[in-house]
Amino acid sequence: MSRKQTNLLQGTLDLLILKALGPGELHGLGISRRIEQITQGTFLVKPGSLFPALHRMEEAGWLRSFWGESENNRRAKFYRLTKTGKGQLEVETEQWTRVALAMTQALKAT
Amino acid sequence: MKLRSRIHSVLRNLLHNQQVESQLDEEVRAYVDMVTDERVAAGISPSEARRTALAEFGGIEQVKQAVREDRAGAGFDLLWQDIVHGARQLWRNPGFTLTVVFTLALSIGANTAIFSIVNALMLKSLPYPHPERMGTIYTRVNGARPSDDRHYINGEQWELLRDEVPALISAASGIRASGVNLQAGSHVEYVHDARISALYFDVLGIQPAIGRSISLDEDRRHGPKVAVLSYSLWRNIFGADTSVLGRPILLKGEPYTVVGVLPENAATPSNADLYTALQPARDGEGSGTNFEAITRLRDGATWQEADAEINRTWLSRASRYELGENPGAQVTYYSVPLQKGLTGTLRPPLLALMLASGFILMIACANLAGLTLVQMMRRTPEVATRLALGASRWQIQQQFWIENLLRALLGGAASIGLGVLALRALLLLLPEHFLPVAQVPLDGRVLAFTLGISLLTSVLFGMLPALATRKVELRCSMSSRTVAGVGSQSVRQSLIAGEVALTVVLLAASGLLIRTLVHLETLPPGFNPDGVMTARASLDDIRFHDPAAFLQLLDQSTAAMGQIPGVQQAAVGLSLPYERSVIMGGITIGDGKETGEKTMADQVYVTPDYFSTLQIPILSGRSFSEADGQKTQHVTIVNQAFARKFFAGTNPVGRHLNLQDTLIVGMVDDVSMAPGIDVAAPLTGEATMYVPATQVPASMLAMVHVWFQPSWIVRTARPVEGLTSQMQRALASVDPNLPFSGFYSMRDLMAKTLATQRVEVALLTAMSLLALLLSAVGIFTLVANNVAQKTREIGIRIALGSTVHQAMFEIGTPGVLASAVGLLTGLVLCAGVLRVMHSVLYGVGVYDLPTLLIAVATLAAVALSAAIAPTLRIASIDPATTLREE
Repeated sequence: MSRKQTNLLQGTLDLLILKALGPGELHGLGISRRIEQITQGTFLVKPGSLFPALHRMEEAGWLRSFWGESENNRRAKFYRLTKTGKGQLEVETEQWTRVALAMTQALKAT
Repeated sequence: MKLRSRIHSVLRNLLHNQQVESQLDEEVRAYVDMVTDERVAAGISPSEARRTALAEFGGIEQVKQAVREDRAGAGFDLLWQDIVHGARQLWRNPGFTLTVVFTLALSIGANTAIFSIVNALMLKSLPYPHPERMGTIYTRVNGARPSDDRHYINGEQWELLRDEVPALISAASGIRASGVNLQAGSHVEYVHDARISALYFDVLGIQPAIGRSISLDEDRRHGPKVAVLSYSLWRNIFGADTSVLGRPILLKGEPYTVVGVLPENAATPSNADLYTALQPARDGEGSGTNFEAITRLRDGATWQEADAEINRTWLSRASRYELGENPGAQVTYYSVPLQKGLTGTLRPPLLALMLASGFILMIACANLAGLTLVQMMRRTPEVATRLALGASRWQIQQQFWIENLLRALLGGAASIGLGVLALRALLLLLPEHFLPVAQVPLDGRVLAFTLGISLLTSVLFGMLPALATRKVELRCSMSSRTVAGVGSQSVRQSLIAGEVALTVVLLAASGLLIRTLVHLETLPPGFNPDGVMTARASLDDIRFHDPAAFLQLLDQSTAAMGQIPGVQQAAVGLSLPYERSVIMGGITIGDGKETGEKTMADQVYVTPDYFSTLQIPILSGRSFSEADGQKTQHVTIVNQAFARKFFAGTNPVGRHLNLQDTLIVGMVDDVSMAPGIDVAAPLTGEATMYVPATQVPASMLAMVHVWFQPSWIVRTARPVEGLTSQMQRALASVDPNLPFSGFYSMRDLMAKTLATQRVEVALLTAMSLLALLLSAVGIFTLVANNVAQKTREIGIRIALGSTVHQAMFEIGTPGVLASAVGLLTGLVLCAGVLRVMHSVLYGVGVYDLPTLLIAVATLAAVALSAAIAPTLRIASIDPATTLREE
């Protein structure tokens, strides 16, 4: 496993979790795998960061959790975006796009 | 939305902690299981799959802790842990905790009790609608004899106030409710009747529960006779029968029509059983200041307008009695809130008591600061260990403050119980109707005060020790086994000195009050109070307006009481020693060089045996006799004060008063009485003239009996079984419809007059004893601690040849020194503080040397014993044991 990994910027993790949950509900491992997949393996989210973030975001009202069955019939805790969470995803996406654009331009400037 | 979800999370995390934890546990486990499943599916052996999954997870407990720390309300959680830890500390050290809680309970309890009275009298609104619009009128006189207080008003003032001050609704009442006879069925009750003007209940904002209040027409002279009943009288005597409305009841021997009943729990300043019309006028009763005014601001008017109107109309009067003693003085009138007017005389002693209980609190805090300091020093090793393990100083401070707060709150809670008990006892001590409020409640404000004061004490007694722990040296404390406490000794000594100083002030103050009370109670009474029984009856009754009927009653009833076996003598007097009496103005000196001088004096009508029954010595001339009748020469007997005041102390017998009309036939000794003219002391010998009951003019009889109820007095050589019932029977044999209000010994009458002083003495003495106790405890613990800390040192010293006495001296000295400094400081404080007591002291100076000496001696003795007692343990120290223990 010699994939190049980047440290998750503060705040980026929240956005990635929101994005990962965009299409639908997932359990913790599912979120982790999905982030790995959509960032083409750039970001690996460890449980030590994932779980505190999930709980914090749930308390903030962005996510809602419920217990369900995993694909191989294990009882697992699933997360889903709330209405507030969807709003938050839009806001953060827009912010990120602006920052990313600015950063790209700044780095390109001579 | 976000806030709500946050609050929800905090509550869930705090309240359903266990559920939250088990869910977290399950979630984490599911994650690991799923990773393991994936690996197994990929062909790795189950045990290997699980191992790598766990390793990759990176420590289940750490992840869980990371989640916990991120959780909402994590701060509360830490705080809660500190509180639990603090509570455990308190539990582990029950002796210390109990001492602290007990000290706080006593000191805060005293404050709670006193504050609830302050609250009831000064802070709580009067129980009337819009109490801020209710007032009464103060008179400020600038001149030779300045004064600034509530005056009674005369009929002219009342009419002007009623008619010329449109900014106010005004009402007047008689000065106090007086006793009257109410015929209820077959028997007669002695009840309290307040005489009030129309609009009295409108000023108070009280609507009668049924019927109406007294109308303007009924308040005119010779108007229809009507009565308004209090709820309790209506229920107790008339069985809450609504048909009583409009029916006549027999009151004062005449039919009065009941027009209304007040609501249940309606309180009035007069506090009477029933209300009749005042029917005020400018002459008769209204020629003197015999009315009391209360006012309510009309809608849209201001107090400034009202005051301007009052001043305009009252200053335009032709004759102004205010200038009588103060010619040329400047007089102004102003409204004050009714509450202040009603409680004016009680405020200074109450504030003094509040100050005294504040002292108690400070003494208690000083004690607790000392104790807590020692406690902290004992825990130095613990603090050092925690510091070494990485706790921040802030965390340790927080822990200590939480412990102090817990102690203070425990003490505060205990103090509420104690305060309630103290308050009960205090209210029992007070005579009936002493406080102008119906009840002293323990309301939210009192509880808030107690809570506030508990928090304050925790800050006060926690501050010093907290500062001290800031200096804990890590290395020193870890290495040395003994506890550092060199600096703490001097801090504790200053604390002790401070509390001893405050105790000196309290002791001296209560000493002065005790001396005052003793002075007043042991004043030569001027008569023999032992073996005298008295009883009062109301003659404010149409049947006794006729002098013949009145005299017949006195004659026959005293004769009947004289027949009771064991009774030596019986008499009647309008008032008795220790009581107030009627003040008569317009007395003119009839001959000699003082001819024409007008004056006023107390006047008491008496039956011939009055002086012999009370054993008031006749100093000159003769007593009254049966020969002094209605038609004979008008005679009077004056007291010594009268002779001193008007005849420069020369023998007054043979002189005349009121232009040759009345002959002075005797002079008697002064007796102690409640002052009426010059309120210089609670008991004085005021200028008094006694007149024979036979010579009281008919016009006067009706009037004085409205204000005063005469007393029957009998003297017995020894206690007589069933005396009071025999007196009642004797009176009933003459008039079956005349009840006595109650029976009082002379001591009862004196106690009633000196009630304020007795209460002050009881309270302040209790507080100074409490202060003394607290100081003793403080000194004792200081020295006892010294002994405990230095046991090893003392052991070595004794082993090296020091005597027990030397060791005792060495150890006890700090306590004695601190007390000595405190005593001196206290004396200096006394010089400043005691001056405010000037107005409540009689017969003793503010700087009374014997009192101060006794206070100092008491405190010195207590301090010495408290310092010596713990050193006695030194004698039992065995050097061999002590050294072996090391």
